[in-house]
Amino acid sequence: MSALYLRRRVTNAVAMTLSMLATLIGLAFLAWILWETLRQGIGALDLKLFTKVTAYGEDGGLLNSMVGSLIINFIGIAIATPIGVLAGTWLAEYADRTRLGESIRFLNDILLSAPSIVMGLFVYTIIVLPSTALTHGNTTFSGFAGGVALALIALPVIVRTTDEMLRLVPSTLREAALSLGVPQWKLTLQILIRAARSGIITGVLLALARISGETAPLLFTAFGNNYMALNPIDKMSSLPQIIYQYANDPGEAMHALAWAGAFVITMFVLLLSLASRLILFRTKVSHD
Amino acid sequence: MTDSALATNPASETAASAAAPKLAVRDLHFYYSGFHALKGIDMDIPEKQVTAIIGPSGCGKSTLLRVFNRIYAIYPKLEAKGSIELDGENILDPGYSLNRLRSKVGMVFQKPVPFPMTIFENVAYGIRHHEKLSKANMEGRVEQALRSAALWDEVKDKLRQNALGLSGGQQQRLCIARAIALKPEVLLLDEPTSALDPIATSRIEQLVEELKSQFTIVIVTHNMQQAARVSDLTAFMYLGELIEFDRTERIFTKPGKKQTEDYITGRFG
Repeated sequence: MSALYLRRRVTNAVAMTLSMLATLIGLAFLAWILWETLRQGIGALDLKLFTKVTAYGEDGGLLNSMVGSLIINFIGIAIATPIGVLAGTWLAEYADRTRLGESIRFLNDILLSAPSIVMGLFVYTIIVLPSTALTHGNTTFSGFAGGVALALIALPVIVRTTDEMLRLVPSTLREAALSLGVPQWKLTLQILIRAARSGIITGVLLALARISGETAPLLFTAFGNNYMALNPIDKMSSLPQIIYQYANDPGEAMHALAWAGAFVITMFVLLLSLASRLILFRTKVSHD
Repeated sequence: MTDSALATNPASETAASAAAPKLAVRDLHFYYSGFHALKGIDMDIPEKQVTAIIGPSGCGKSTLLRVFNRIYAIYPKLEAKGSIELDGENILDPGYSLNRLRSKVGMVFQKPVPFPMTIFENVAYGIRHHEKLSKANMEGRVEQALRSAALWDEVKDKLRQNALGLSGGQQQRLCIARAIALKPEVLLLDEPTSALDPIATSRIEQLVEELKSQFTIVIVTHNMQQAARVSDLTAFMYLGELIEFDRTERIFTKPGKKQTEDYITGRFG
C-alpha cells in the first residue's frame, strides 16, 4: 500500500467518523426531546387527554385544543395551498428569468423569514380589530383569524417549494409537449404540475408541520378557549397556545398536561415529516 | 430523381427540379441573442425519404432541426430569418399557426421524455388535443401508433401502467409513437439514439427504415455510421453553414468538398 493511498484511507476514515458523530449529535437531541416530553407528560397521557376539554383544568384533557389546532391548521393550509401553488407556478412557468419574477421571488424569501409574531400582530389589525368594530364586540378573536395568520406563514413555504419543484422538471418535457401543439396552459396544468406533484405535496406537508407548532401568531388571533369551539368565528384553543398557558401555571398537574400536549404535537410533526419523506422517496424510485 | 442528377448539381435545386420538395429552406439565418448560428442555409428536403444532418458539435444541426417546428420560439431572444416552405407555405410566417405546424411536423428528442402518465395516455394525449375521437376510435389510433413504433407487443398488456416504468429504449419508441399518433407529415428526430444502448439503437434505426414510407424524416445525428445506415440523403454542416448536401452513398464515398471528406474520414470533429 503506497503512502498516498494510506493517507487517503486515513483522511476518509476521519471524515467519515466526524460526519457520523455530527449526525449522532443531531439525532441524539431529537431522541432526547421525544424522551423528555414523554417522561414529563406520561402522567397525563391517558384517555381523558383526548376526551375532556380544558375547562376541567387539571382534571380535564386537551380535546378542545387538539380539535382547535386541527381546524386552525386546516384553514391555514386551505388558504395557503391554492394561492401558493398558483403563485409558485406563475413564478416558475410564466415569470422565470424576468425582472418582475425575480423581484417577487426575492420578496417571497423575505416573507419566508418574517418573524411569526409579526404575522399575528398583522392579522390582529386587519381582521380581529375590524371584526370587533363591525360586530360591536360579538366577534373578536377567532379561529379564522388564527388560520389566516398561519396561512401567511405557510404561503411562502408553498410558493418556494412549488417554484423549485417545477424548475426541476427538465425543459425537454416542456419541449416534448409543446412539439405536439399543446398550448402552454395545458402543458402546465396537465403535465408539469403532475410531474412535480409529489414535490409540491411534500412542500404543503412541510408547511403544515411548520405551522402546527406556531404559538406566537395565535396569541392575538385565535386567542384560546376553555370549551369546545367548532365554529371558526369563535375564539379557539390550540395545542401550542395551551402548552404556553399551562407551562406558566404553578400546578404540577398542569405541567404534566402541557408536556403531554407537547408530546402529541411533536409526534404529529414527526409523522408529517415522515409522510412527506415517504412520498418523495416513493416517486424517486418510480422515476428510475 | 437519380443519383447522377443530384451529383452533378448538388444541394437545393436538384431535388426541387425532380419533384416539389416537402421542406424548402431558403436563405435561413438564425441568431441566439446576437450569435449567428445558421448562416444562409438553402436546402430542399424531399418527401418520404430520410434526410440525415451530420456535423461536429456546435455546427448548428440541432438548431436547424429546431427551426422546422419552431420549437425554438419558446425561448426568448432567439430569431430566425429567411423562409422554410412546407408544401409551399412559409412556416416562419407569424401567421402560420403553431398548432397547425406542430400537428404536421412531429419531433422526437435526444432523451426519451415520457409524460408522467400511463402508456396509453402518453399516446392519446396529443391526439386528444387535436381531434375528438370516440373511445373505440381512440383505442384504435393508440394501438396503430404503438404498432407503427414497434412497441405494441411489448406494452399491450400494460397500457394502464405508468410510462416511466419502461426501459429507455421502450420510452424512446413510446415518444416516437406519441409523435406519429398525430399523423404528422414530417418527423424530426434529434439524436434519438444518443441516450440508448446498441440494441435499442438498432431497433430505432430499423423503425426509421419502416417509417419512411409514411413520413418525411429528418434525423440529426453525431454518429456518422448511423447516418450512413439509415438515410437516403445526408447534409454536412460546419460552423453554421451547409457545406454539402447529397445522396448519402455519395457523401460517404465520393464527397464533393474537402471539408466533408476530412470530417467523414475522422480528420476533425
